[in-house]
Amino acid sequence: MCGIVGYIGDKQAQPVLFNCLARLEYRGYDSCGIAVAGSEVKVFKDAVRVKALEKVTPKLAGTLGIGHTRWATHGEPSRVNAHPHLDCPGKICVVHNGIINNYQKLRQKLARAGHHFVSETDTEVLPHLVEEYYDGNLEMAVSRALQEVEGSYAIVVLAVGNRELVIARRDSPIIVGLGDRENYIASDVPAILDYTSRVVYLEDNDIGVVTANSLQIKNGGAEVARKEHKISWTVEDAQKAGYEYFMLKEIHEQPKVIRDTIGGYVAEGEAVGLADSGDFDLGDVLILASGTSYHAALVGKYIIEELVRTPVRTELASEFNYCGCTSPRSVTIVVTQSGETADALKAMKRLKGEGCRVSVITNVVGSTASRLADRVIYTRAGPEISVAATKSFLAQLMALYWLALPYSKIDIRRLDSLITELRQLPGKVQQVLDREGSIAECAKQLAKFDNIFFVGRGINYPVALEGALKLKEISYIHAEGCAAGELKHGPFALLGKEVPVVAVVGNDNTYEAMLTSIKEVKARHSPVIAIVGNGDGEIEELVNTVISVPKVEPIFSPVVNTVALQLLAYYTAKERGCPIDFPRNLAKSVTVE
Amino acid sequence: MQQAVILAAGEGQRLRPFTVNRPKVMLSIAGRPILGYVVEALAKNGIRNIVMVVGYRKDQIFDYFGSGERFGVEITYVTQERQLGTAHALTQAQGVIADEFLLLPGDNLIEAETIAKFVGVAPEAVLVKKADNPKRYGVVDIKDDEVKSITEKPGDAGSNIISTGIYAFSKGIFRFIEPELDVPAAVNKMIAQGETIKVALTDGVWLDAVYPWDILSLNDAVLRRVQPNLSGTMESNVAVKGRVAIGENTVLRSHSYIAGPAVIGEDCEIGPSVCIQPSSSIGNNVVISPFTVIRNSVIGDDVNIGPGCIIYNSVIDKGSIIKGQFTACSSLAEVKINGEHYTVDMGVMVGEGCRLGNNIVAQAGTIIGNYSQVQGKTISGRLPDRSLVY
Repeated sequence: MCGIVGYIGDKQAQPVLFNCLARLEYRGYDSCGIAVAGSEVKVFKDAVRVKALEKVTPKLAGTLGIGHTRWATHGEPSRVNAHPHLDCPGKICVVHNGIINNYQKLRQKLARAGHHFVSETDTEVLPHLVEEYYDGNLEMAVSRALQEVEGSYAIVVLAVGNRELVIARRDSPIIVGLGDRENYIASDVPAILDYTSRVVYLEDNDIGVVTANSLQIKNGGAEVARKEHKISWTVEDAQKAGYEYFMLKEIHEQPKVIRDTIGGYVAEGEAVGLADSGDFDLGDVLILASGTSYHAALVGKYIIEELVRTPVRTELASEFNYCGCTSPRSVTIVVTQSGETADALKAMKRLKGEGCRVSVITNVVGSTASRLADRVIYTRAGPEISVAATKSFLAQLMALYWLALPYSKIDIRRLDSLITELRQLPGKVQQVLDREGSIAECAKQLAKFDNIFFVGRGINYPVALEGALKLKEISYIHAEGCAAGELKHGPFALLGKEVPVVAVVGNDNTYEAMLTSIKEVKARHSPVIAIVGNGDGEIEELVNTVISVPKVEPIFSPVVNTVALQLLAYYTAKERGCPIDFPRNLAKSVTVE
Repeated sequence: MQQAVILAAGEGQRLRPFTVNRPKVMLSIAGRPILGYVVEALAKNGIRNIVMVVGYRKDQIFDYFGSGERFGVEITYVTQERQLGTAHALTQAQGVIADEFLLLPGDNLIEAETIAKFVGVAPEAVLVKKADNPKRYGVVDIKDDEVKSITEKPGDAGSNIISTGIYAFSKGIFRFIEPELDVPAAVNKMIAQGETIKVALTDGVWLDAVYPWDILSLNDAVLRRVQPNLSGTMESNVAVKGRVAIGENTVLRSHSYIAGPAVIGEDCEIGPSVCIQPSSSIGNNVVISPFTVIRNSVIGDDVNIGPGCIIYNSVIDKGSIIKGQFTACSSLAEVKINGEHYTVDMGVMVGEGCRLGNNIVAQAGTIIGNYSQVQGKTISGRLPDRSLVY
């Protein structure tokens, strides 16, 4: 994580840098800093949030600058560890997103050559390394310095006396926003939406030189051309618009996201399906993902197994990278909202190396994953600013339904009614949102506890996992998701008056078993909150609180149940006064392992 | 005038079932909420700084308008926690009002011409118009271009000039607001204390929806000026006549006949062999099955209509599923709202998320509450939300 920005043009750099950084804070927010270059480089940084730094920064005059917002990996959040970092004479200045694996060796080598270090970061070796090779040509110096670096980076470098910024990328994202006699550099698109919608993405091992009027990119010494993209997201999409937090806004966008997704896929006609060839006899399917996307993958497993009747494996991308095997015959799908998740990218590269064809479900056009994959299915959720994933998860579910439906082996009457029901989903989700008042009431009670279990069965088991994750992320309550059938194999020992259980009850063949589980839980005196379809009298009598959701076909129940759980997490966090959009210790897109 | 304050906090109780899940200002007319027309009228007259006082179901307004950028305006939201009348709503905005401002109700559908001259008038002033049935509104008693008094819903209307609820005020109005609970009362108080309120007359569009069937007249009035726009796909032998706007990704299947004025949203699937007749609005993601005729009706988003249905002069709210052979009878009907009786030429009003089975005949004037399920042959009268009829 970390967000990096840069500006070169005829505007004053300082306000531009702060504005872009504020929009990138979801990438990291434990410390930040900017540097503005005139006849010398002036750096101002501290272990505070961007808005706080902006208030106390003196006016640094200059139209060339770089900035950084940090998610600490090496070295605690502090002023001295914050970026930008300088070389010895304070003329070369660097911001960095990524991890330099061999920084210890480089640091020792540079120290022996007389360089002096002040921070504990891996990044600080970079300006000193560039200083070693610098003799007036910044690009050459950066290029030679990077050859010694092992690890990941997206960097922006400036040097006094050079009216240009040098950028480079390996495994961490960096884009250039093209303007009129000015150019913007950032880790991610939302940073520069205020200024331009024309974007160029750098690829691995690119080194670019950005001036106010030009962008020149080389890879391996040879000049390359990178495509210019027009971004359809607007600044509007990245604003809260009346809502108190981005997360609530994004939860409320979900009916629209579902509608847009259906419309988009319907328009594409037959094109979307599990495999390119339309071969209806699929082998097995492997789905890889991390975090909330992994929960989407788990739901996908149930969807595909039920509709297509083919076995599905789901693996955590991080674990798969250490001990996973597969065959080129499998249909492989990687799910990653940002398209930059390091664990997912590593898995993709290995699989492609082994001859597998890989499809990716992602929300970010032009992301690294989208460029690595053989086939890309874009979710159309728009930029998701809140760190906790909400609408992107639902959009991933919609993509998975859409992948599975053309291959369904189910009865055509059932298929018809599923497709009709699919079109009803935006309205059904809106009905859940219409009831947020009663969910908020329930959350007020839930907020008093420190440990909560979420249980589910069948297709709602991953929903329970996701519900626990959302609550954990933003309210800091220790919430744990568990398969209902597994409770009595251990977790029961933890139950009692102080440990409530949220039960996600599906209206399917797991219903009776869930009833039994709930009775067992009640017998241990845990308060029970049940998420059920409308009008279920039997459950109402058993449990302490009922959260009603509209009745849907069981295969679509994750859609409405998840929205109810998102609202539950949101209002619980609100009751506890938590900083919902920027939870402690987390960042939006995990671009390190 | 640089700034406008729009009152958008009200519920619109008499418009149920359509206002159970949305504020009155968000009722959809010809594919856009009433509030959208108000915002557009302001933007076209150069007023871009808008303060919206929201309350009931404000999330619906946030979802649609956002920061206002999409509509070329800048919106600041102020919340009225409890709906205690129009003057109380105005006081919520006091902190963000700069100087002179236009005050408008968010639930009256207007066009740019309605306020074109008024934006240049100096405060304090009220915009009035001639009405056919002034007894429903605030009647304005005028002398020499100035207001003598405003009387809400008079038993015996002296004149036929009513207040549009659109005022030009300066910050001075706030001296007269508390503890009055509605704006006309505050105006009367101003006059009693010797202040002058000027009168300006408009003959532009100004429409009000009070009862569910009013949606039809607003829809008809707006559709006559709709901008034709044909997006989406049309299969062979589809006829489109008159002023019709069709959204992206919509498919019109063979032998369908669309007679404007009409608006069809995005992602719809219409036909084959469906007739849409004037003046109808169809929302987004709507499926209409073969041999169905829709005339002078408003169909909400995500609705699914089965084959062989006859739907005239009706409103079907979002997400409802209507199985085949549904007939919405339309004629002069007796309807009771809040204890009052009305005789209205109308079809049927169906709330959101309803499920209507096959072969249902709904008598003219039937109002079905939200989330209701109906099976059986004939229905009539007023069904509350979540009704089950077998």
